[in-house]
Amino acid sequence: MDLALEIQGVSKRFRTQRNRPATLKELFIQRLKGRGPTGAGEHWALREISFALEKGRSLGIIGHNGAGKSTLLRLVCGLGRPTTGTIQYWGQIGSLLELGSGFQPEMTGRENLLTGGILNGLSRREVEAIQGEIIAFAELEEFIDQPVRTYSSGMYLRLAFATITHFDPDFLIIDELLAVGDSRFHQKCLDRLKSFRKAGKSLLIVSHDLDQIRASCDEVLVLEEGRIVARGDPESAIRSYYDVMRQRTEKRQAQIGVAHQPIAPVQQGTRYGTQEATITAVRLFDGEERMTDHIYAGSPLTVELEYLRANTVPDMACLVGIFNENDTKCFETFIPSVHTASGKLSERGSIRCHLPEVPLVPARYYVAVGLFPTDWSFVYDHHGQMHTLHIMNESGILADVSGVLMVRPDWAVRSLDPS
Amino acid sequence: MSARTHQLDLILNLTRRNFFLQFRGSLLGLLWALLLPIIQLMVFAFLFQRVVPLGIENYPVFVFTALLPWNWFSVSILSAGNLFMVHRDLVRRPNFTPSTLALVSALTNLLTYLVALPIVFVLVAISGRAITWTVLLLPFIMLIQGTLIVGLSLFIATWNVFYRDVQQITGVAVMLLFYLTPVFYSLERVGPEYRIAFTLNPMAVLVQSYRAILYEGTIPDWKGLLVASTVALAALGIGYLSYRREIQEVYDFL
Repeated sequence: MDLALEIQGVSKRFRTQRNRPATLKELFIQRLKGRGPTGAGEHWALREISFALEKGRSLGIIGHNGAGKSTLLRLVCGLGRPTTGTIQYWGQIGSLLELGSGFQPEMTGRENLLTGGILNGLSRREVEAIQGEIIAFAELEEFIDQPVRTYSSGMYLRLAFATITHFDPDFLIIDELLAVGDSRFHQKCLDRLKSFRKAGKSLLIVSHDLDQIRASCDEVLVLEEGRIVARGDPESAIRSYYDVMRQRTEKRQAQIGVAHQPIAPVQQGTRYGTQEATITAVRLFDGEERMTDHIYAGSPLTVELEYLRANTVPDMACLVGIFNENDTKCFETFIPSVHTASGKLSERGSIRCHLPEVPLVPARYYVAVGLFPTDWSFVYDHHGQMHTLHIMNESGILADVSGVLMVRPDWAVRSLDPS
Repeated sequence: MSARTHQLDLILNLTRRNFFLQFRGSLLGLLWALLLPIIQLMVFAFLFQRVVPLGIENYPVFVFTALLPWNWFSVSILSAGNLFMVHRDLVRRPNFTPSTLALVSALTNLLTYLVALPIVFVLVAISGRAITWTVLLLPFIMLIQGTLIVGLSLFIATWNVFYRDVQQITGVAVMLLFYLTPVFYSLERVGPEYRIAFTLNPMAVLVQSYRAILYEGTIPDWKGLLVASTVALAALGIGYLSYRREIQEVYDFL
């Protein structure tokens, strides 16, 4: 078994800002009072992390904000030393840590590309030999001689991704890479990562995008408060991730007590959350604004939810999805901040999500709705399989269509025999 | 490609990059590297030839031989405090050694010095003096000064991450040192009872050496240079040791 990375018993302690004096004066005061620079005010960002990554495999790391993901990646990159434990890797590392780090804004794209290449162990001539290929991949032919500060975040990302993957590292570390950029380039990146893995190279990916983790990882670790709480194939790890979210929610619920009694009993499905913001009603409307629970395939649908919010909730994210009977996600969308979307967050309010068409195969579905804090670290209120949506067919059941997506097929059969 | 030539490639590329970055977006560009010392020269020439005449022969050459190395020193040292913070883009790369930045900064400012150096030769020629073979000793003096700058920069850059006072102290120290270094005055005016302060100040020794080579055309005082080299090496040792000891914490702070 050829390893690309081995991490054994890694812990990382940060001294909080307060504790290390920021000026000499504070240092003297601290010394006078007889307190050393250690003691209280420590923060363990990582605790006893151990894992290994084989060559040609890709490992995903998921976890909530502050779970220690970025700290772990930085340690692997050699930025800082673990307080305990060892990190070993074999080969040249390439990293995309934060968007924006790694480029000098005043220099042009081409100059940054050169610096990046030399930092990654190439000679000037080698970089010059491949720069055309990089610029073409990044689709930046027109802008490559402009200062990087004039780039949009998408252009920035394209350049960063193109450079790092073309410098041929043995081991690539990516933190929240594909958050920006259009979907076509996104796919191009995923393809590139795939060929990268085929070439026997390893990947370490941190992402909030669970679908991306699913698509590009062989194995996934779930971090929570600096510890690995689960590891396994993407599906089971993502389930554990949701469990962690549920536990957090329950823990918080126990701390704050009941903010709102959930209004309306749950007749079917599952509902959970701290209820600091609570969904008081969910209504579905068809294209004619009639309240209903059944619509025709391909016709419009509006999901409306009403909420009641406690003062402890400064902002929230809202999620709306459609799931089939097997609990497979057919569609999902969200707004990251209701506050930003509405300008002001009222105590009671309604949120409407209008879908111009719902092209799903006729069957029974559930509309899932949820309110979350904006960092998605726990749940205010989530309704799963509670609200039924029947999709019907206008002209009886179509026997020749199955699957999830409803498209009317139009067949044409022609003979190509020479007549 | 061997690791050493690669490291050299990196240093040269970063030096070139940072040197030209200073002039990016300015209309006069590289001319600023010449204009700034010339303006300083004119001020000194006016002050100490007309207002308070010091009676030094060929005063422009006298001042300029010392001013350029002094600027190399002071600009490098004054920018050292933010060295790691300004170049965060590099420090955060997995394959980058941050100490390289101290060397790159010293080399970048050395380039500024070298660009302006021909003016000295022109001034010498105008004054009717001759450049002697002693000019071949220049690289040696520059090496000592470079060592001093790299050592001090590493020390300042490292500690300023934790204690911002370091930069303030550096600012005051550089200002005081300017007056304790015979840049615009002659060391001969200083009474023997104060000489020790100038023997122990490596910048005073270095400035005197540059002046010996370019202004007087003589061989610099090697005893003074021995002391200066010792101080420079000590600075490098202490600077590098503090850097080595603290760099992991620096990463946590950035």
